[in-house]
Amino acid sequence: MDRQIRPIYEALDTNSNKSAILACNKVLKKQPNNLLVKALKALALVRSQKVEEALVLCDEVLAAKPADEATLAAMMHVLRGLGRHMDMVTMYDDAYKQQPANEELGTQTFFANVRIGNWKAAQQIATKMHKQFQDEHYLYWNVMSALLQAKDPNTPETLRPVLLKLAQRLVSQSPTPSYYNADRFHLHVTVLKELGLYDEAYELIESEAGKIICSQFLMCEELRREIWKLKGLTREAGERAEQQILEAKDRNWLEFLAVLDATFADLTVEGADVESAKGSSAERITQTRELFGKVVEQDGVKDRSGHLALLELEKRCRHHGLATDSTTLTSLLESYFQHFGGKACCFEDLKPYIELEGEDLATWTSVLEKQTAQATSVPDLWRFINAQKLLRYNLTEAQLTPEAETQRAVQCLNAYLEGLHLGKDLPSYELQPADDLAVLAAQIFVNIWKRTGDQTPLYNAAALLEYATTKSKMSYQIRLHLIRIYRLLGLPSLALEHYRGINVKQVQNDTLSHFLLSRASTFSLAATGDITYTNECMETSRIYVSNSEETSEFIVRAFGGEKYSQIPDFILFEECLDNSLQRDLIKMEHVRMRIAHEAINSELVDMELIELKFIFDRLEALVHHDNRDFSILANYQPRCGASFIDQTESLEKTPGFGWLWVFLKIYIKAFQLASDLDDTVEDKLLIGDRPKPSNDPETKLPLKERLTKRKQEEINELSSDEAAFYDYASALSEWLTPYHDYARPPPSVVLAEAAKLTEQKTGHTLKGLELPPDAATNGNGKKDEEPPAVVEPPASISKHFDDVLQRFKEVLDGKAVPFELLHVVTLAQEAYLLFAIETTRFKTASVIKQNKFGGLSQHIKDIRNKSTAVINEMSGALLNRAESEATQESRKAVIEACKPIIHESGLDHDFVLNVAKKITDARKQIYDGIGKGMAKLAKTYA
Amino acid sequence: MSVTRSFKATDLFKFNHINLDLWTETYAISFYLSYLSRWPDMCAVQETPQGRMMGYVIGKAEGSGTERHGHVTALSVAPEYRRLGVSRRFMAWLEKVSDENYRGLFVDLYVRCVNFAAIQMYEGMGYSVYRRVREYYSNLGLGHSVRDEEDGFDMRKPLPRDPMRRSVRSNGRDIVVSANEVP
Repeated sequence: MDRQIRPIYEALDTNSNKSAILACNKVLKKQPNNLLVKALKALALVRSQKVEEALVLCDEVLAAKPADEATLAAMMHVLRGLGRHMDMVTMYDDAYKQQPANEELGTQTFFANVRIGNWKAAQQIATKMHKQFQDEHYLYWNVMSALLQAKDPNTPETLRPVLLKLAQRLVSQSPTPSYYNADRFHLHVTVLKELGLYDEAYELIESEAGKIICSQFLMCEELRREIWKLKGLTREAGERAEQQILEAKDRNWLEFLAVLDATFADLTVEGADVESAKGSSAERITQTRELFGKVVEQDGVKDRSGHLALLELEKRCRHHGLATDSTTLTSLLESYFQHFGGKACCFEDLKPYIELEGEDLATWTSVLEKQTAQATSVPDLWRFINAQKLLRYNLTEAQLTPEAETQRAVQCLNAYLEGLHLGKDLPSYELQPADDLAVLAAQIFVNIWKRTGDQTPLYNAAALLEYATTKSKMSYQIRLHLIRIYRLLGLPSLALEHYRGINVKQVQNDTLSHFLLSRASTFSLAATGDITYTNECMETSRIYVSNSEETSEFIVRAFGGEKYSQIPDFILFEECLDNSLQRDLIKMEHVRMRIAHEAINSELVDMELIELKFIFDRLEALVHHDNRDFSILANYQPRCGASFIDQTESLEKTPGFGWLWVFLKIYIKAFQLASDLDDTVEDKLLIGDRPKPSNDPETKLPLKERLTKRKQEEINELSSDEAAFYDYASALSEWLTPYHDYARPPPSVVLAEAAKLTEQKTGHTLKGLELPPDAATNGNGKKDEEPPAVVEPPASISKHFDDVLQRFKEVLDGKAVPFELLHVVTLAQEAYLLFAIETTRFKTASVIKQNKFGGLSQHIKDIRNKSTAVINEMSGALLNRAESEATQESRKAVIEACKPIIHESGLDHDFVLNVAKKITDARKQIYDGIGKGMAKLAKTYA
Repeated sequence: MSVTRSFKATDLFKFNHINLDLWTETYAISFYLSYLSRWPDMCAVQETPQGRMMGYVIGKAEGSGTERHGHVTALSVAPEYRRLGVSRRFMAWLEKVSDENYRGLFVDLYVRCVNFAAIQMYEGMGYSVYRRVREYYSNLGLGHSVRDEEDGFDMRKPLPRDPMRRSVRSNGRDIVVSANEVP
């Protein structure tokens, strides 16, 4: 036996799935009922994407209720690959019931429940295992499961305290005290904390053993701080922190905060007598000032904490009206700047303390203005950079005239070029110390554009950043700036080039891909067959697959290794990725690109319908997370205006949940109309687990109603063109719904067809499907009702194309950034495609004839002709524009625009000419591609 | 000055400005979670008063007998927070944990032979080269000799449980081993 099985495992281990299947077949020929081999074959099939065949085998093995470990292990991988975690639970459950003395099986059953977050069952199994096998760690599994169940949003409110008390009772039964293991101790204290038993928690933490654990394990130390806070020990925490600072020379900022909180404790207590509290606080403020003063004296420039703590103290004094000397704040700021102005973090450190007005601001400004650009050392240079950032932060509206801003930008640029000398000996892969001056200059140019609408400053920003990136090849900051600007300028190929230069990997695909893929369908040339951006969506989305395949295994491992402190965070992490907003936004963009690239047939429509509905249900049922990293982009814009990221956001609207809702509704509705699948059919055809239903009453409404619900807060996230597109899509689907509903073949027919296809493909019948005897023969289910009368389409549908054309002409000749032009154009194309999706059914002559839809056909033809003409006109105009892009004149215009930044050497005329060439070539490419793509689509769907 | 706290799984969403760096690798999710699920007490973050991550360290405990030691798998600080003693605090902390929680005799780490800044920094903290490991890293294409770019130094520092400093040696740079000879 072993001799036959080994080659199968070997083939699987080396990922040779084909030979694994062959080896399995060989054994199965002689032993057709060998469960292990069937399971292994299913695994090889899953891995080679042959899902249908795998399903058949998988179900056969499951039906036989396997109980040996080898088969179970193989099936675990099969079921995980198919996303059938529920079945995995059932399988292990059955096996464990057959062999209740098998500890390994019990453990696996527990883990199977952990993987799907079924804490209730997990807890019951742990209870049973503890009773039977007496090992203490099962007791703690039990405690952890009870705690997680208590925290689960689906657990009823009343049950939570019961579960927590159970957890507490269990811990107290442990023969060895929890402090023998840091993670058990952590769990114990957490349970007490959740129960609000702060005194008990405190006692545990402050015990001899507890103190040692907290000093050795950061996560326990964090819990200690929390318990102190919850117990209201602000004053005591302050005293303890003072000791830490003075005696242990601890410079953890949390200690300083503890001292500060204690200083103002009397004032922050609810219902305190403010006047008397002020009196006692004043005294304490003096003491605290002395303490921090001592720290400053001891540390000098070695550590920033004392200095920063003095600033925080003064800020809080001012907040409570306890500041005695109005010059203290500015002199502290000045001192801080003198000590740490040479460090890169100075601006961030001081930002919370410089929202100044009047005299304070004037004093502070004069301090900063003394800083000259002449830098003979890197710290000197940083002092200048920090001064510029700090000054800029407080600039007022009146100071932001284009002239003044241009002067500032040029000053920063000159200082940058000068500052490059300080880094001239650095290896090419190091960052230049002057980089931030280039970034500052670029942000100032962007600000001018934002305030005047004149695009020439954007070219200045782009060209100088291109120069900076040749000097600092590894600077992601410079590249991110370029990506933002190139997107505005409608240059996706250049944005992509810099995005790739950043080398985004792994989990960063979730947090950083928005820089490239937000509204990416605007830039897609999928209609011409160029699927660069489509592929980028696919590649980026892989991280979500690895998350759902891998992360739960580590939750299991954390249980196995008793690292309870990590489990809640692992679960949260998994959820954040699984229910990531960016994940669904990418999916939406992918769909929008896909319909331009592929033939709109039932395969595409059905698949996307199922996937989008899945996302829709999940979005309603589960908390979603926006993990997009916006803070990575530096912001040096004045506080009186918008931040750099907001300024450079396409159309000033960042797609968020509302945006996603709208587009999901549009496309689900459209695909529903086009598809023959209705809910009953879909249920039968879907494999894998469904999202858990939520308790929100709104989600209980029928899908139809949920799809037509319009919410203002969602519409607020749309650009005006997108909002118009939404109106159009709603009107279109509303008009066509009755005709689709009437003409759609009945479910039995659709299912029969699906069964036939499956059988052809796999040689097996579709599982769990019982067809009424007449279904297969009765092809066009005769209808009892009369067909709906054909009515005129609402005028708004046809008018939408007039409006779009009008908008197009405006943006083509106006001041709008090229992004907006592309946005208008691609949305027009999308409206056109949506029309094609929703009218394909009525292209078939027999459908029209059978349902007496002759009138409908004419209406559709009218709109189609009209929209095709509009699309062709836009395409022609865009192709014309493309011709005028990559010419000498257009390059000249860019160079002319860049006059303020052209220098004699380095960033010289030739360098800018190269940038101009890159820009104009890329612009030609995108206009040309989009224009041709539209023409092609107009031909296909005319 | 900073807030030192434990490294959490969700910090992976917040470490971009640290990881978009030539010397820092962004690994698969499983890499970070496998460390957190075994040595959560050897992974830490420092953040600014505003809550921005400044850097992180990921370590493990390995070896037995006289080889029992703490290992620094990854340590990285964002460019804007360098020269503030962040790394020094991480290393001091990890040495303490290696000693107190795991009774280690030394702490060791690997560094590219061409990462001069890092080597100098570790030497300043009392680390010395124990051996040179051939082809430990992939090539970065920085223009150094291939050998220097791909080789790594194994650097060590003895802890109080090794008062005789048996875990280090003075001629470590001359001792060359191949990558498969090290754990």
